Amino acid sequence: MQQLIVAEFRRLLATRLWWIALLAATGLGGGLVGCLALVGPEHFSPPMPGLHTAAGARLVLGILGYTAFVPAAFGTLAVTSEYRHRTVDVTFLFAPSRWRVLTAKLAVFAVGGLCYGAVLAGTAAVGLYAGAAGHGSTVGVPVGAVAGLLGRLAVAMAVYTLLGVGVGALVGNQVAALCLVIGYLYLGEPVLMMIPGANAAYPLLPGGATAALTGFHEVSDAMAAQLPTTAIHLVSPVVGALVLLGYTLVAAAVAVFAPLRRDLA
Amino acid sequence: MTGVAVEVAGLTKRYGEVTAVRDLSFVVRPGAVTAFLGPNGAGKSTTLRMIVGLVAPSSGTARIGGRPYRSIPRPSSVVGAAFPGAAVHPRHTARAHLRVYAAMGGYPDRRVDELLDLLELTGAADRHVAGFSTGMRQRLGLATALLGDPPVLLLDEPGNGLDPAGIAWLRTFLRGLADAGRTVLVSSHALAEVQQSADDVVLVSDGRLVAAGGYDELAATAGLPVQRPAAEPAGLERLFLDLTAQRRGDDRCNS
Repeated sequence: MQQLIVAEFRRLLATRLWWIALLAATGLGGGLVGCLALVGPEHFSPPMPGLHTAAGARLVLGILGYTAFVPAAFGTLAVTSEYRHRTVDVTFLFAPSRWRVLTAKLAVFAVGGLCYGAVLAGTAAVGLYAGAAGHGSTVGVPVGAVAGLLGRLAVAMAVYTLLGVGVGALVGNQVAALCLVIGYLYLGEPVLMMIPGANAAYPLLPGGATAALTGFHEVSDAMAAQLPTTAIHLVSPVVGALVLLGYTLVAAAVAVFAPLRRDLA
Repeated sequence: MTGVAVEVAGLTKRYGEVTAVRDLSFVVRPGAVTAFLGPNGAGKSTTLRMIVGLVAPSSGTARIGGRPYRSIPRPSSVVGAAFPGAAVHPRHTARAHLRVYAAMGGYPDRRVDELLDLLELTGAADRHVAGFSTGMRQRLGLATALLGDPPVLLLDEPGNGLDPAGIAWLRTFLRGLADAGRTVLVSSHALAEVQQSADDVVLVSDGRLVAAGGYDELAATAGLPVQRPAAEPAGLERLFLDLTAQRRGDDRCNS
């Protein structure tokens, strides 16, 4: 297994994908949060509580949960490129035990996802405090709470990376898998929140669980206020974490077992 | 090198209503180049992929040294296989590609350098594969197959897209491998080329075995002249190789 993990790390680091991912994490973390903090939530449309309040600070950081489709897409891209470029043939020639290959990939992408999350969280912290200073405001949440929230976001990003790996291994076709992952996470879940009845499932979907983990309920509250739908009640952060853990396990199982009997013709 | 035979017995592959390979049986012996011939869609690639476990047979078995591919410990040290289109990520360099599979097979990085030298790719080792010619890609595929210094080589259309110099190089290369006692099974459409280099022939059509045996023996049975073209390049091929080698030499002197 150690050989496979080393090989997968070498594969990951052999293209520019890894630094494009870290660049995206920096842009979304430092860039997006910095801009939002600099503008100030009170100037959003509709106006939100200011950065000096706990709700305002959580809002600015919690928005990062909606960028989780990015690491998911990277996970999907990395796995499906094996099918697209047919390197999967060579991989399974060198390691016919396919479940071991996919397990190694999951281990490597868990590390990759955590690195993505760490860069996102670290640069977001810098962006938050720099933006607040530039805006002449304070941050309405203690440093420890900010660190905890960003830590949970970092772990959530690793989970989404693995979700992407799982979908990629299941679907195989790169374009289809990317459309599925980005379409569902970026569009599908927000649309579900608007559909009466269907939105009851939102708290148990990945986006709902992530929002619960970070205490980010402003978007679901705003939708419930503006649309004729019932209010969405997010689960507790602990349950949100458990739900995400469940999705991780399902994605891992799918990634490991989906390619087992697939013919590579 | 101890010889390792490849034995195919009753191999069948069905895709729904279509039977790609039917009850195919043959043996590939060590120390010879065996040509695996047949028209397009005859089932050659499917058979090669079943031998190495990439495609699951509907029935029958394929054994290498008496074992199915998937049950061979460290299989890349026993069988090297290459399929058309050199399965390489275009944004990998040749060296990076080989280093991935060297790690996967547990081979030292110096093996990568040896193979880059052997396959005459050292000068291009750190270039992205996207800029490689077809011949360079084929050689990189061969280098990957040879990482584990395997006694068995299964090559699917390795001459596809090669220029005359590449084909002459491949012919000499495969001959050297067979003379060293390795088992070499090569699928091909280039019959004139096969005639020069193959010792044995396995001929399939419509997924069925048509003939298998030594080339000379099969030719004699069919009443064909057994005499083969010289293994060394001759005629137009010789002229092409000499002139292009001379031109390359001139270019090197001028650069």
